[in-house]
Amino acid sequence: MAQAQLSGIKTGLQADVLPPRRHPLAEFWRRYRRNRLAVVGLVIAILFVITGVGAPWIAPYSYTEQNLDAVELPPSLAHPLGTDDLGRDQFSRLVWAARTALIVAPSATVVGVTLGLVFGLMAGYFGGWVDRLIMRLSDVLFAFPGLLFALLIAATLQPRFEAWLLRFEVTKPWVRSGYAEFLVVITALSAVGWPGLARLVRGQILSLRREPFIEAAEALGIPAHRILFRHLLPNALPPVIVAISMGMGGAILAEASLSFLGIGIQPPTPSWGAMIINNFQYWRRPSAPWMLWAPGLVVAALVFAFNFIGDGLNEALNPRERR
Amino acid sequence: MARLLDVRNLETRFYTQDGVVHAVNGVSFHVDEGETLGIVGESGSGKSVTVLSIMRLIPSPPGKITNGEVIFEGRDLLKIDEEEMREVRGNRIAMIFQDPMTSLNPVLTIEQQITEALELHLGMNHQQARRRAIELLKMVGIPAAEQRIDNYPHQFSGGMRQRVMIAMGLACNPRLLIADEPTTALDVTIQAQIVELVKRLRDEIGMAIIWITHDLSLLAGLADRIIVMYAGQVVESAPTADIYRNPRHPYTIGLLQSIPRLDEKRRERLAPIEGLPPDLIDYPQGCPFAPRCRFAVERCFEEDPPLEKVGPEHEAACWVKPVGQEVLAAWRAAVLES
Ligand SMILES: Nc1ncnc2c1ncn2[C@@H]1O[C@H](COP(=O)(O)OP(=O)(O)OP(=O)(O)O)[C@@H](O)[C@H]1O
Ligand SMILES: [Mg+2]
Repeated sequence: MAQAQLSGIKTGLQADVLPPRRHPLAEFWRRYRRNRLAVVGLVIAILFVITGVGAPWIAPYSYTEQNLDAVELPPSLAHPLGTDDLGRDQFSRLVWAARTALIVAPSATVVGVTLGLVFGLMAGYFGGWVDRLIMRLSDVLFAFPGLLFALLIAATLQPRFEAWLLRFEVTKPWVRSGYAEFLVVITALSAVGWPGLARLVRGQILSLRREPFIEAAEALGIPAHRILFRHLLPNALPPVIVAISMGMGGAILAEASLSFLGIGIQPPTPSWGAMIINNFQYWRRPSAPWMLWAPGLVVAALVFAFNFIGDGLNEALNPRERR
Repeated sequence: MARLLDVRNLETRFYTQDGVVHAVNGVSFHVDEGETLGIVGESGSGKSVTVLSIMRLIPSPPGKITNGEVIFEGRDLLKIDEEEMREVRGNRIAMIFQDPMTSLNPVLTIEQQITEALELHLGMNHQQARRRAIELLKMVGIPAAEQRIDNYPHQFSGGMRQRVMIAMGLACNPRLLIADEPTTALDVTIQAQIVELVKRLRDEIGMAIIWITHDLSLLAGLADRIIVMYAGQVVESAPTADIYRNPRHPYTIGLLQSIPRLDEKRRERLAPIEGLPPDLIDYPQGCPFAPRCRFAVERCFEEDPPLEKVGPEHEAACWVKPVGQEVLAAWRAAVLES
């Protein structure tokens, strides 16, 4: 009898068609690839990283090398993008500025994302006064226009921070080498960056907590911290990854904007924003629009690229589509 | 047989913006070792809230267990601390849920989900836990268990996922398995397979089962005893045979009349119970079923009837207690005539 039942069960199973197995990463890439713009964005982003890392080898000149006999030259073979008012090779500065952006944007994003994740998880999981405190804080930060707030932080922080660094022998050289500026800009950008992500993560956790599989995990006696980090967090990640990618583009733009306004990264350290403001005077000179266009286009291309990547990730990671 | 679970006077409320939801109102029942108890009742009658209260998994806020005792293996689960309760969950009492499509975590493999409880409760290392997990998957009839264990839930069909849920539930050899409508989301043939599977496993492992359903016919070959719930109360409780043969509560009689029978060809002969269950926020005075009841007398609208003994193991909460045997016989005769 039991035997008959068993075989009955087995026969029923034959009808269950098993979907083909694929490595999750291969599956992910298959979905990502479908979005052409996302692939283009990825290529641009990779070029950006290669340029930033390989700046010393790619740039024909140093970014500080001046040649006062060759100022404001139009493009030529020796200077593909011409020279600026101090006779520095524009192309080399453009390449070196990629390195600046490559240091500032990911660092600011990583710090901002970490803060956003931690605060968002805490707010969503603990609720109560922890939630209220974090959310009020993020409300306050949200109330300011992001860039204005970053500007405020950078402008007030920079002199104090540098004065403080100059008090110690070890940290003194940081000021002259420009590290201090980097730290200030990274701090300012991450302070502005976290509240949006914290809200996103909080919302994710709140909605995921009602999912049956979380109830099922609780019914198995899994402790709270494991439910939070092993069961909830991975499910909350896809939109976070998308936000990180979009945030990278935003950080590049924000860094350029700060240096455009003369705050943060200071010359001679090259920055796209500084190049734009430095070349602003040539705006109306028909002979030299490229000095303005080149850095502007690069920043715009990167902002678009990271947004396209974000879109592609969104489609590839969307759990509704995956199920 | 030894008493495994004794629920006494359980009362659970939800404090919502619209008012206090009286979800469970003084529910008492028991489960003996190795016994299968069926709980039936229509949607919203408080079946899930009752068992979630036993597991102390009521979302709070808004929910709160406001009264009662849940004696399991000799101690009151409502009095022990959270740490001890976690040791009970998944280990001594396991639970499987209605919707197998959403009850498994989509980002974790089957292995990760089954081994977690084994490592946690039984202190197994990963190797042992994996071996045991494969064993469990074979036990619930997953073919090619050694390979399938590394799959993600979306690679399984609904019926297979429910088997995986059952494997997870049985992982730590619980004394009590609570199944909250585990077959409702599955199609009929798969339903029957799952019921057969659970019966077989029950006989092999010897655990007790609480099986929740709103389909009374499903319990026929499965449950030893049945309790019928209505508006957060137990309105009838009896051995399975007595519920079918001689129900004494009008609601149970109504449920039996709404089951399609094989010997009836035309569906319109079914008699669904008219009307709607009461509003649990504005809980009615008197018997909650009275407004829908064919047998109601004046007293039913004034006083809520208590559960009273009507047979050796048979209780019903009704002032009238119609003899279901006669009512059903008359009804069948009328149906056959027409
Ligand atoms: N989190 C909650 N907040 C407010 N009310 C709730 C909550 N959970 C359940 N309830 C209420 O408690 C009552 C009983 O619900 P329960 O889920 O126990 O019904 P059920 O008998 O399991 O029904 P079903 O057959 O549909 O599963 C319902 O009126 C429901 O609205
Ligand atoms: Mg339910």
